[in-house]
Amino acid sequence: MVKYLSEDWRKEVEARLSAQLTPDKMNNLTSSMNNLYLNCPDGNSHYFFVGFVDGKVDSVQVGVGEGPKAEFVISGEYETFAKISRAELGAQKALMGGLLKLKGNMVKALKLASLVDRLNKIIATIETEY
Amino acid sequence: MFDKTSPFYIDFPGRIKAIQTEMAKEKIDLYLGSRLRTMSWTTDAFFPWRSFIVIPAEGLPTAFTFVIDAARAADDSWLDEDHVMGFAPMGGQDQITQISDMIKDYLPHGGRVGVEAGMSNYLPEGYLTYYEYKAFEAALPDCTLVNAHPLVDRLQMIKDIGTINRFREASRIVDIGHEAVLAAIKNGGWKGMTETEIGGLAGYAMRKAGSTFEWSFTGGNEIAAGYRTGLAGGACTPASTKKVEAGEPLMVDIHALFGLCCGDHSHNYLIGPASERQRWHAKNFVDMVALTLKTYRAGISPSSLAAEMMDFAESRGFADFMVPGFEHGIGMLGDEWRIGKHDGPFPYWTDPDHEYLENEVLICAMQYACPDENIGFRYENPILLTKNGCEYMSKFPLAIEVIE
Repeated sequence: MVKYLSEDWRKEVEARLSAQLTPDKMNNLTSSMNNLYLNCPDGNSHYFFVGFVDGKVDSVQVGVGEGPKAEFVISGEYETFAKISRAELGAQKALMGGLLKLKGNMVKALKLASLVDRLNKIIATIETEY
Repeated sequence: MFDKTSPFYIDFPGRIKAIQTEMAKEKIDLYLGSRLRTMSWTTDAFFPWRSFIVIPAEGLPTAFTFVIDAARAADDSWLDEDHVMGFAPMGGQDQITQISDMIKDYLPHGGRVGVEAGMSNYLPEGYLTYYEYKAFEAALPDCTLVNAHPLVDRLQMIKDIGTINRFREASRIVDIGHEAVLAAIKNGGWKGMTETEIGGLAGYAMRKAGSTFEWSFTGGNEIAAGYRTGLAGGACTPASTKKVEAGEPLMVDIHALFGLCCGDHSHNYLIGPASERQRWHAKNFVDMVALTLKTYRAGISPSSLAAEMMDFAESRGFADFMVPGFEHGIGMLGDEWRIGKHDGPFPYWTDPDHEYLENEVLICAMQYACPDENIGFRYENPILLTKNGCEYMSKFPLAIEVIE
């Protein structure tokens, strides 16, 4: 069991994504996404950044604050992200309900929706303490 | 898209720079366009969904449209996919949030944002709605929204050569549609045919010749037979399922689109046998059209032309049947109504004293209607105003033939 958004959780995410998301499965994508967690239990904002280069996981980062610049930024309440990571809430439903806010080119985001689903499903397999 | 060597090439980056120059003169920090005519004129793409364009003080503009159509619009436009954004009902992706976020990126300390507010009797015009205006105002508390569409209208008035050539090509295509209609209705071919069939076969012929859209929002190709040709003021006749009948007039008003420029030509027939009275009406109208085309030139105005033509109609005894207006404005798709600017006695209507300039394009549009006799005719043709006359772009011979 690892703590959500901790360094241990980040390592586990990186390991699983690298092992399971082959460039082929990621359509040789080069892009980046930053999830911005607002109102976290410690009172801060946290981020979870993941970058792909030619379909390979290039960078997985977590930390306090806004994090690095990314092609897509998804922001929302900590609890909303936690529900998505626990597979209690679909990311698309959260976006369409206004619980999450996406910043970035929506047309490109549409092309990536299924890839993000793949990524979220892998993250949901990590035993996590929220 | 047309390259620089094409006769249909339009310098769209140059148009954006021209808007930015006008913005600077009027101290507009950013222009937010929403009218279909602005979208067409700046992007070279058709935007059928609610759309917007953000034009900063410098650099490329960004268009916004419904996400399901953004990739197609970008593919058609000279703008790349990073400058045609899609909006959707998702957090941060609705049109107000997305556009406001971009404006705030351009104007972090606020500024004057030009918007397009007004009214039109042309439904697809696309001025900001009250809701949109209030929503942008609330989302941009550091910005002042000012009505700025006249600066775009001024730039759109005189047509460049690429635009003129696109109108010429659209008109050539319309002529092919008319040839197809004539071939189909002659020698008794009209028997059993409906107005909608005629609209369809004209549309098919024009599509084969390169038209992309029977563009008019008034029902595509406007076909009228019998009494429907003579409805009072009747300058709008979406095709119905009425059948063409012997002894009745037939009005064929067809529309092609090429490079977002519009072909629009009406031709009229009498389905035989034609009475002497019908032939008298037809001669009146043909003579009137011929005189009107001969009279158009730079320097005249809609009111001076109408006065001169109505005098002629009065002298020939058919003034009661003429609608006393002879044209409507035209530009790239969405610019289909008012002529000139907004400086007439009735806001957002054509100024009757607008003085035509060289290289304005308008639709010569004339309507003859005699409801009591179930007869009427329409003439439409895009014309280019020149110093000493006009070029009428559709070349289908002016006549009202009797089809036996």
